[in-house]
Amino acid sequence: MQRKLTGALALGSGLLLFLPLAGLNPFFLDLLTSGFFLASYVGSWDIVGGVAGQISLGHALFFGTATYSCALLTSLAGWPFAAAAGAALLFSTGVAAVVGTMSARLKGPFIALLTLALGEIAHEIMLGQTFFSPRGTYSWGGEGGVPVTLPWEAPSPWAMYYGALLFLILSTWGMTALARSKEGLIWTAISGSELTSRASGVDVTRHKWRAFLVAGFFAGAAGVGFAAHVGRATTSDFSLELSFQAATFAAIGGRGTIVGPVLAALFLHVLFQGAGIVPAARVILYALALLLVLRFFPAGVAGTLRERLRARKMVSGGEGR
Amino acid sequence: MHPFAQVLLDGIFTGSTYALMAAGLALILGVVKVVNLSHGAFFSLGAYVAYLLSVQGVSHPAVAVVLAGVIAFAFGVFLGKSFINPVRSHPFSVAVGSLGFAILFEQAAQMLWGPHPVSIGAGPPWAAVSGIFVRRWGAVSLAASVGILAALALFLSSRWGLPLKLIAEDEEIAESAGMDVEKIRYLTFGFASATAAAAGALLAPATSITPTMGRVPLILSLIVVIASGMENVLAIFLLAVGLGLLSNISAYLLAPQWSYVSLLTVICLLLLLRPEGLFGTVPGRDY
Amino acid sequence: MRRLVIFLPVAILALLLSCLASWAGSENAEPIRIGVLAPLSGPFASGGSAFLQAVTLAAEQANSQGGVLGRHVDLVVADTQGRVDIARSEALRLTSQEKVFALVGAYLSEETVGVIEVAAASRSVLVVPVAATAEITDHVRKKYERYRYIFRVGYSIPQWAGMVADFLGGLRIARYAYVGAGIRWNRELAKALRQALARKGIVPVYETFYSPRNPAFEAVAVAVMARSPEVLVLGDPGGNSVEFVKRVREGGALFPILSVGGALGDARVAATLPLSAPLYAQAAAWKGASAAATRYAEAFERRYGYPPVGYSDTLPYDAAMLLFSAIRAAGRTDSDAVVTALENGAFPAVAGTYRFDTSHQATWGTPELHGIVIRWETEGARIVYPDSQAR
Repeated sequence: MQRKLTGALALGSGLLLFLPLAGLNPFFLDLLTSGFFLASYVGSWDIVGGVAGQISLGHALFFGTATYSCALLTSLAGWPFAAAAGAALLFSTGVAAVVGTMSARLKGPFIALLTLALGEIAHEIMLGQTFFSPRGTYSWGGEGGVPVTLPWEAPSPWAMYYGALLFLILSTWGMTALARSKEGLIWTAISGSELTSRASGVDVTRHKWRAFLVAGFFAGAAGVGFAAHVGRATTSDFSLELSFQAATFAAIGGRGTIVGPVLAALFLHVLFQGAGIVPAARVILYALALLLVLRFFPAGVAGTLRERLRARKMVSGGEGR
Repeated sequence: MHPFAQVLLDGIFTGSTYALMAAGLALILGVVKVVNLSHGAFFSLGAYVAYLLSVQGVSHPAVAVVLAGVIAFAFGVFLGKSFINPVRSHPFSVAVGSLGFAILFEQAAQMLWGPHPVSIGAGPPWAAVSGIFVRRWGAVSLAASVGILAALALFLSSRWGLPLKLIAEDEEIAESAGMDVEKIRYLTFGFASATAAAAGALLAPATSITPTMGRVPLILSLIVVIASGMENVLAIFLLAVGLGLLSNISAYLLAPQWSYVSLLTVICLLLLLRPEGLFGTVPGRDY
Repeated sequence: MRRLVIFLPVAILALLLSCLASWAGSENAEPIRIGVLAPLSGPFASGGSAFLQAVTLAAEQANSQGGVLGRHVDLVVADTQGRVDIARSEALRLTSQEKVFALVGAYLSEETVGVIEVAAASRSVLVVPVAATAEITDHVRKKYERYRYIFRVGYSIPQWAGMVADFLGGLRIARYAYVGAGIRWNRELAKALRQALARKGIVPVYETFYSPRNPAFEAVAVAVMARSPEVLVLGDPGGNSVEFVKRVREGGALFPILSVGGALGDARVAATLPLSAPLYAQAAAWKGASAAATRYAEAFERRYGYPPVGYSDTLPYDAAMLLFSAIRAAGRTDSDAVVTALENGAFPAVAGTYRFDTSHQATWGTPELHGIVIRWETEGARIVYPDSQAR
C-alpha cells in the first residue's frame, strides 16, 4: 500500500510538472499556483489539528502573520523580498510558539476556543489598522490590505508555477516525514489520549508546543509563497473563513494523514475555482461535499480508507506494514 | 450618570441574546456531545419565517415562534438522524458537516429570498423609566433567555430529564438501562434547533435579516458555551451577561471599534488563568 | 429533366452565396464579450447581486437596440467572493480564457486592487463602478502608461464627502455626528467629510466606528444621543446600518439620520423603519431626478420586481452604459481607441453626464453629475437634494 501510494504521488507530481508544457493557459497556471500554496497551508493545519489532535480554529493567524510581514517589510520598511520572507517565517513561527505556550495547559475544546479568539483578535486589529503609504496620498491597511513589493515587475507565471509546485512537494514531503518520525509518533499518541501519553512519561505540553511550532512554520512558508504570488496581504488572510477552510478541507481529506488534506485541498480548489461552475452551484456543491463525504467517510477519504485497509489486514492477518 | 445606567441595562440585554442561542448549543454539546455549527443557520431560518409571515400580514410573534420552532424541529431531527448520529463517533467530522449544512442553508436562503437585507418593523419605542429606555426587544430577549434556561434547568432536574442526564454522564449505562439513546439524541438535536429558530423568529424585528446573519451569533454563543464549561446552565447565563456587559461598556468607555477585541481578550485571559474551565468543570472527554 | 439542369446550378450558386453570406455575417456579428466581476456568494453577495442585475439589464437593453456596433453584447460573469486572490484569478480567467474585451468590476476595494493588475497586464479596459479607494486612480496618475486602461465611474472618497457636505450645508446645521463600520474607507470618508464640513463651519460632536462582528449598537446609540447632534451621518452601506437605525430610534432619538447609500436606499427596508424623525439616503441617481433616471428605475423595477437602491446597482449600470458608449465612439473593439474615447468624451447616462479627469476619475460633484439625496416618507422617497431637483 505504502509503495503504491508513493507511486501514485510520484505520477501525480510528474503530471503536474508536465501540465504547463501541454499548453495550459495563464489562468490555470495561476489557479494551480495558488492551489499549491493553499494545499500546503491545509497540510500544515493537519500537523497540529490532525496528527497532534489539537483542533485549531485560528490557523489563519500564522498564515496572515507571514503575508502581512512580507507586505509591511517590503512596502513600508523597504526591505528586499528575500529578507522579508525570512523575517516572515521567523514571525509566524514565533507567533506559533506563543500560541503553543498559551495552549499548553489547555485541552480539547478550550484550545479550539483560544485559537479562534486569537485569530479573530488579529483579524479585528488588522481590519481597524491603517498604515500611511510612503506615497502619502492614501493609507494602506484595513480591508484593502497592504501590497507586497516584489523584486520582479511582472512575474513569469511559469516560474511561479514551478516554484509553488516544488514548494508543495518539498513541504508535503517534510511534513509527512515529520509525522512519521519519532516526534510524530508522540504527537499521534497525544492525539489518541493525553492521559495515556502522560502516564507513559511523555512531556505532553512540550510536544504539543512543538507541533504548534512546526505547523506555524509551514503555514508561514505557505503564506510567504502566497504573498509573493498574489502580491498583496489582505485581512482575509487572517479571516475565520480561512481558518475554517483548513479544518474543513482536512476533514474531507482525512485528518492526520497529511497527504489526504493536501490532495483534498488541491483537488477541491481546482474543482471549485477552475471548473467554471456557477457561483450558487459551487457553494451548494461545497456544502454537499462536506455533508456527503463525511457521512460516508467519517474520518475523511484517506482516513477512512486507511481504517478499512487496516481492518481488512487484521481480519486476514496479512503481513503488517 | 444616566447614559451609563442605560449602557449597563443594554449590556444585560445584549448578553441575554448570547445566552438565548447558547442554551440549545449547550444542550447538544451535553447530550449529543458534538459542536453544532449549524445552530446559527437555524437562528436565521427563524428570522426568515418571521419575515415571510409579516409579508403575508401575520405579525403576531407567537405564530412565527411556533411555526419556526416546528420547521426547525423537523430539519433538526432529519439532520440528527441522517448525519449527526451515524457520524457521531468522529466529533470533528460532525462539526464540519454541520458547517456544511449551515452553508447549504445560507445559499438556499440567498436563492429563495435574495441576498439583500430585509427587515420587519420593530414597533414604536417603549416609554422611558426615569430617563432610562427599556428596549422592547432587549426585554423580550432577556425574558426569553431566562425562561428557556430556567425551563432547561428544571427539566434536567426533573424525572423526565433523567434520561438526558444519564446519557450525558454515561451512554453505555443509559443504553443498558433500555433507553433508545439514538432516538433521544436526534430528538434533543431537533429540540435544540427549534429553540435557535424560535429565538431567531422572536428577535427578527430587532435586526436586519440576511442569509449570513446567523454567523456572528453562532460564534458568540460558541464562545460562551465552551468557556462556561458546557454544563452549568447558570454559568452559561452569567458568562453571557458578563460578556454582553463587557462589550457594551468597552464600546462606551473605550471605543466601539474594540468591543469585540476586548471580549475576546477577556476570554483568552480567562482560559489562561483557569485552564480547567471557567467554573472548574473538566470536560468529560477529549473532543 | 431540362428544368433540373437549369435548376441545379442555380441551387448550387444560391447555396454557395448563402454560405458566404452567413460566413460574412458571423464575422460581422461576432459578439463583444464583457467580463463582469462581482462578489456573488458570501456576506457581500447583496451588493454583488445588485451589481450583476444592473449590468445584465444594461446589456439586455443594448442588445434589444441592435447591440454595440451592430454586435451582440455577451456578459461573462465571475464571482470574486470578496477576496483579492480570487478576484485576481477570476480576472485572469476572463481575460486569458474567456477572451473578454473589457471588464466591469470589481465591487470591493480589496478585490479591485487585485483586478487592476490583471487589466493593466492584459491591456483590457476596466471600468470600476463602486470601489472608492484612492489607490485605484493613484496608479493611473503615477504610472499612466501601464494603468491607463482603468477608469472609475463611481465617486471617489473626497467627491462623496463633498456631495454629502453640500447637502448638510443646505440644512443650516452646526453639529453633526458620524458613525461608520471600523473599516478603512469608512474612516477615510469620515476624515474627508470632517474637512469638507469644517469649511462650512459644521463641526463633528461625535465620530466613531463599530466592529462589524460585534457592533455594540446600543452603546453607540447611547453615546450619540448624549452628544445631541443635529444630524447623524451613517457611513456603513451594509445591513448593519438598518439595525443601527432601529437601535437609535427605539432609544427615542429624534435627530435626522443620513445614510451615505446602500441598504437604507432600499424601499422595502425603509418601509419597516420608523419615520419619527427624517431619514435621508444618498444615491447616485433616483427615479424622478431626470428622464434617464426615471427610465432606468422603471426598467429595473419591471425586470426585477423591486426598485433599485441607487448605489450598488445604479453605478454598475452606468459603468456598463459608459463602456458601450465608448466602444461606439471608438468605432471598434480596440482597447487604446476606447481609452482615448473615454478620456475625451462626455457620456450622458443615468446619474448625469460623465467626464473623466487625468487620473481617470469621473468628475462627480459638478452641475452635470452630482448625486441625489432622498428623504423617506410614508408614501415613498422624496428627492431633497440638489435643490434644483427637489420636489
